[in-house]
Amino acid sequence: MPSTQTPPIAGLAIDPPSLRPPIDDAVIERVEPAGLHARLEELAAGGFTMLLDLGAVDYPQREPRYDVVYHLLKLPATAATVAEAGTPVRMRVLCGVPGERPQLPSATGIWKSADWAEREIYDLFGIVFEGHPDLRRIQMPGDWEGHPLRKDYPLRGPAREKAPRPPFALKSNVQAGTPPTGRTLEALQEQIARVREEGASP
Amino acid sequence: MTLSATPLTPEIVSRDGNAMVLSMGPQHPSTHGVLQIMLEIDGETVVTAEPEIGYLHTGIEKTAENLFWSQAQTVIERMDYLAPESNGLCYVLGVEKLLGISDRIPPRAQQIRVLIAELTRIASHCVWLGTGGIDLGAISGFFYAFDLRENVLDLQEAAGGARMHPNYMRVGGVNGDLPSGFLPKLDDLLAKLPGRMRELRGLLQANPILQDRTIDVGILSAEEALQWSLTGPALRASGVAYDVRKAFPYSGYDRYEFDVPTRTEGDAYARFLVRLDEIDQSLRILKQVRKDLDTPGPVMIDDTKVAAPPKETIALSMEALIHHFKIVSEGFRVPPGDVYQSVEGPRGELGYYIVSDGGNRPFRVRTRPPSLYNLQALKGIAPGNLIADLVVMIGSLDPVFGEVDR
Repeated sequence: MPSTQTPPIAGLAIDPPSLRPPIDDAVIERVEPAGLHARLEELAAGGFTMLLDLGAVDYPQREPRYDVVYHLLKLPATAATVAEAGTPVRMRVLCGVPGERPQLPSATGIWKSADWAEREIYDLFGIVFEGHPDLRRIQMPGDWEGHPLRKDYPLRGPAREKAPRPPFALKSNVQAGTPPTGRTLEALQEQIARVREEGASP
Repeated sequence: MTLSATPLTPEIVSRDGNAMVLSMGPQHPSTHGVLQIMLEIDGETVVTAEPEIGYLHTGIEKTAENLFWSQAQTVIERMDYLAPESNGLCYVLGVEKLLGISDRIPPRAQQIRVLIAELTRIASHCVWLGTGGIDLGAISGFFYAFDLRENVLDLQEAAGGARMHPNYMRVGGVNGDLPSGFLPKLDDLLAKLPGRMRELRGLLQANPILQDRTIDVGILSAEEALQWSLTGPALRASGVAYDVRKAFPYSGYDRYEFDVPTRTEGDAYARFLVRLDEIDQSLRILKQVRKDLDTPGPVMIDDTKVAAPPKETIALSMEALIHHFKIVSEGFRVPPGDVYQSVEGPRGELGYYIVSDGGNRPFRVRTRPPSLYNLQALKGIAPGNLIADLVVMIGSLDPVFGEVDR
């Protein structure tokens, strides 16, 4: 069923990250899929101990179509006070993934926490992470078809045939005014009158 | 002995004589939501634990892409239903960064934001304290904690109009100034809190049963905690003093004096103590914010492209009417770009990766849910512990399933 909502006022930006205003939120780096794993390993060895988050974005009009976004944090495990933790360096690694057969190497060997995040991206975007130990759907049911967060996936799900309503719920099956027991008011009144008559004639 | 990568089936399967696969949940009284855990157990000992999530998946991120920027906030606040205003604050801060109006938010709006965020933290920790106590059989703590939470929710209702999801944070400020009578109520709560915390500590912290059940249970070292991307109280209980309020201050948190409580033990009891100490620190912040709130001022940005003009000006000014109509009927547009914004929620670093394509709806709102990553760490914590302690470990990680599943 198509969405009944009005279409959005489309933004014209096909590749928004390239147009971003100067916002000081992270060090940004764009990496090609081929060099991704080596670069992530290098960053992890260089002190980026935490994978803050791992998400994906679908830019349907752009090639490569998907962006997989790694948010990293350079936080030493020895930072026992606020002063030692300071302002840790935040880093964002963006990696373009083609729309045809989207594939990336898994980061689960570098950060354990990549496990569920990669499963979620596989589930909702259909990007396959090679080398993931247990790549299966995480949010949607196991037998679900399609990847809901892709932009071409309709908001209310794929078109389905309307399931017929079960006959007992149809209004036409129930006579108007018939109580659930099947006995109408008239039948009840008749029965009462009969009982009274029987009681009156000994 | 490890499990294969194939999905586990819920029936009980005997393996190697002693080991078996057992499904715990999804309907289990102490899983704090709809969580299923596939356990491989050897006698009473957990060999592997694989949480199965997604039972509460409602597609919030997809829905948000189809709503106006301001409407999307409504569904986003439903993620972490115990601390809705932390979600709202983080989203609003991110959108403000994209709009480039972060430095024009009135100071009073920022103070009210800090006030509400800290109140939310107290309310959320109260739920965790009460339900976490019940998991261990400490029933009476629940009533004290929930009574306190009710007081906080009363304040939230007075300010935003609803107990649970007030949607009080707005892009550009907050939705209306604090009502008259709010500050005396706040003073009452601030006066009541220290005594109530002393009672709660007496009931729970010094309780020998609670200590027996939590000390040395579910230990996580600092390195492991970072590997599992733990944040918030769970990370600080392992000895890493990372707090977004200190590391990347927002809404003027750098103006307030407070400590970041840490522990080094990394067990369930340490996580419990860190949360208790956090309530005390929130109280410290609240007292400082309270002093600021005596100064009146605007609570919304003076920019009619983003915020609807005050209702009373609509009858007097044609321009105000037009701006109001535009904001209500088609929302505002956000310049293209992407931003990562995070705040310190009650459960840890709550982040949003927001992408705008220049339209009047978010192109993509990716959440960094602290509960998801904290819960995932159960896979690393649980092995080697007893099944009975599993409930304690889930409780000490404090997951909220609206946020895990979204």
